[in-house]
Amino acid sequence: MSDFFKTLLFSLALAASASAANYVVDQKGKTFLPGDLSVSVGDTITFKNSDPFAHNAYTDNESNEFDVGMQATGRETVMTVKSAESFNIECAIHPNMLIKVMVE
Amino acid sequence: MKFFLFLAFVFASLSASDETFDIGENIYANACSSCHGADGKANEGADFVVNPRNLSKSLLNEKQRFWIVKMGSRHWGSYADAMPAFGGAYEDEAIKSVVRFITKKFNPDTEARVKDLYSRSEAVSSEKFAQMLKSGEKVYKRTCHLCHGESARGDGLATKNSQKPIYPYNLRKTLLSKEQMFLYAKYGGEFWGSHNGDMPSWSAKYDDYSLKSVVLYIDETFRKKDKRGFSKER
Repeated sequence: MSDFFKTLLFSLALAASASAANYVVDQKGKTFLPGDLSVSVGDTITFKNSDPFAHNAYTDNESNEFDVGMQATGRETVMTVKSAESFNIECAIHPNMLIKVMVE
Repeated sequence: MKFFLFLAFVFASLSASDETFDIGENIYANACSSCHGADGKANEGADFVVNPRNLSKSLLNEKQRFWIVKMGSRHWGSYADAMPAFGGAYEDEAIKSVVRFITKKFNPDTEARVKDLYSRSEAVSSEKFAQMLKSGEKVYKRTCHLCHGESARGDGLATKNSQKPIYPYNLRKTLLSKEQMFLYAKYGGEFWGSHNGDMPSWSAKYDDYSLKSVVLYIDETFRKKDKRGFSKER
């Protein structure tokens, strides 16, 4: 492979990673903070648990299927937005924890 | 003559009733009030592993209360509850008298309240049994198992991954009826006198049908009736 194509591929990969944003959602006080999100396909969302008790984060949206299982205190889990469908993220342990993720 | 005999009978009954109440009050003052408080509302924040229940909000009926007092709440599925068994310290009659006192003094309308709330919930046809079991299993495996565990023994992953301890019930042992379990899930523990707040109200997330379905699933999968009419571990 010529140096030109190597450089081109590297540049494309760099551009792709640069355009994908990461959003941090903190699970604190039985709330997802900072709240609802607007994201794009390819973006990532990092869930971290700052509460002294366990949490969960999941969506029932099939094209963005995601479930962290048990999210222990201090643990971080990353999901990637795969599809252009908006969805809700909920905690299976605490019924009032819910945020909407709008996918643009 | 018959009239006087009748009066004597009424008087004797009232005296016996008063006596029972007095005995119960005395036992309550000596054995119960230090945890549950003189007013039955308990004290939040005292040095308990699990805070005592507010008896004025409890959804238990007298029969259930008797067995909790006699056997202790751990026997009925509470893991770390400080409520000990009093069956070794008191005869059944004494326990009945304190239970009578608690009911009359703090919570005389429990059964009517439970019945009323349940009657206002969405009615579900028994023809939907199979459908409800399936729906209940889905809800249980989505949410309940994280705290109550895959086998409903109160040992879900959330109990092992918390800095702050939580004590979910072993649902295989609980003496609550299906109706009471539904109301507990719908309104949450605090509504029914728990000071710990670990069991949230699920009404914002699940409708009555879903909650009745998961109770049916728990009952059919993990419990069976024993000779006292309560559930018992399979």
